[in-house]
Amino acid sequence: MIVTTTPNINTTRTLQIRDAGMVFSTQRGPFVALRDINLEVMRGEFVTLIGHSGCGKSTLLNLVSGLTTPTSGVLLLEERELKGPGPDRGVVFQNHSLLPWLSCLDNVLLAVERVFGEREGKSQLRERALAALELVGMSHAVAKRPQEISGGMKQRVGIARALAMEPKMLLMDEPFGALDALTRARLQDELLKIVATTGATVMMVTHDVDEAVLLSDRIVMMTNGPAATIGEVLRVDLPRPRDRVALAEDRAYVQYRKAVIDFLYTRHSHVEKAA
Amino acid sequence: MSNCVMNTFIRVVEVWVPGPDRTLLEFSAGLYGSASRFGAISRQMCFGRGEGLPGQAWEAGCPIVLSQFEGSTFRRTKAAQAEGLTCGIALPIFAGDFLCAVLVIFCGDDDAHAGAIELWSNDPTTSKDMTLTDGYYGTTADAFEFISRRTAFRKGHGLPGMAWESRLPVFIEDLGKGAGFLRGDSAVKVGINRGFAIPCSALGGTEYVMAFLSALNTPIVRRFETWLPVGHGDAARLLRSGGFCEAEGTVGESAVDETVEPGQGSLGRAFITGVPALSEAAASEPGAVGAVARDAGLQSLVALPVLRAGRLVSVVAWYF
Repeated sequence: MIVTTTPNINTTRTLQIRDAGMVFSTQRGPFVALRDINLEVMRGEFVTLIGHSGCGKSTLLNLVSGLTTPTSGVLLLEERELKGPGPDRGVVFQNHSLLPWLSCLDNVLLAVERVFGEREGKSQLRERALAALELVGMSHAVAKRPQEISGGMKQRVGIARALAMEPKMLLMDEPFGALDALTRARLQDELLKIVATTGATVMMVTHDVDEAVLLSDRIVMMTNGPAATIGEVLRVDLPRPRDRVALAEDRAYVQYRKAVIDFLYTRHSHVEKAA
Repeated sequence: MSNCVMNTFIRVVEVWVPGPDRTLLEFSAGLYGSASRFGAISRQMCFGRGEGLPGQAWEAGCPIVLSQFEGSTFRRTKAAQAEGLTCGIALPIFAGDFLCAVLVIFCGDDDAHAGAIELWSNDPTTSKDMTLTDGYYGTTADAFEFISRRTAFRKGHGLPGMAWESRLPVFIEDLGKGAGFLRGDSAVKVGINRGFAIPCSALGGTEYVMAFLSALNTPIVRRFETWLPVGHGDAARLLRSGGFCEAEGTVGESAVDETVEPGQGSLGRAFITGVPALSEAAASEPGAVGAVARDAGLQSLVALPVLRAGRLVSVVAWYF
């Protein structure tokens, strides 16, 4: 029997993407990267974007982060139109993007000061930064610089930096893509705990089917580019907390995984034909 | 359907039409196959708005899948169970707000009848997704149902999404190879190999698509054809645009471009009335329809009009 539970998702819409499209101007003429993107993300929901390379996953995440502006349509964060980057969206990139000359604590503090600097004193800001580092298990390395810690640790600091800003949304662009399999698995597990603790609303880009099923409340499957769009959305009703070891043999988990692979396999063969 | 060489997933088809004063749905036609006693009882019945399965579809203004007769408003439970029928699907056909007829389909849930029928819907005021409203999966493995219930399609994607976008019947001959069928692998694993989807007329703004998924040993129907209206006035015709026959495969180019005149045979009647027409003697149908039935040994025929916003957009022919 398949047991399902409702994840801790609020019915309040955090993000609305309405008829969004993205066309880039190139030397060969306009390139339609995304079309007809419509998506709502509820508060506390974990949504992953999955699809083949070039399908516009990162472009879509960049639209949400405000790093790029859609050429058509509109994006709303808590009912207000997004018009650029802001601290209400914490971004974690595949490359940790830490400043090498600052310690882990100072890297986080930099972001904290930007958001809370005008309202809070130095000690409060420091407490915020330390709390965020503690949340990701990096209390032991607050004084270390990025080059003195491992890749997984750098990503933890990157997550801490994003979380410390108390964003309305956490945006992650293949955050574990550059890590070895064991480190990636450990960080995925830690991300599950962090999300459970903070109730964060997350949108994450990934290529990893297992990662998508393990972490997500919904998996948004993108069609191939150019002119990519959302093809299918899979609701993952696996109970939380999720245990990767137990899930490996869970019937529902296997079916979700297979459904995503079906989608990607079908699309992949399409890519080969096109090529 | 009684003498079919091959089992079909659909076992009974009946048509109910509003009576002259439009207070009751009256029996119009039925194909009962081996379920003759069920047919005899049904022929004596009529349904008010909200009564029984046809009346419920009339009241709701949308298709209804009834996969559990007991405890429902279904009025023929014992007769249906005696014939091994376990699921009923009611498809109201509206020309705008005007109910033309209710087509009711019955399926049986046993090892000899594998397949699935799914009702998908989209409320454009709340979502961009088409999601599963209800489904009947017969004896297929519940893995397929499990994923179907958690999958949402966008317009133009997957079998329901393709019918939703095109607003026309869509047929996929081989779900395993069909790039458009996004649950292909799951479907093939449980024996489902073909699918067709029909956009349904309904009241209100919600869009409905009925998807029929067919197993190799028990196809939903033995032959499926799509006919499209062409021309206007005296030149109006139905043009066969494609189809699939379990015996002959894809309907070949020679069979495409055949036409049926308004009022000619079951298809022609469905064309001009907007009411499904049934024939127990498909071989006696005039023109190309009868010829096909004779050549392929097909017994009976359902001509199902597909209407949108009060206009007929196609007629689907099911042969048994």
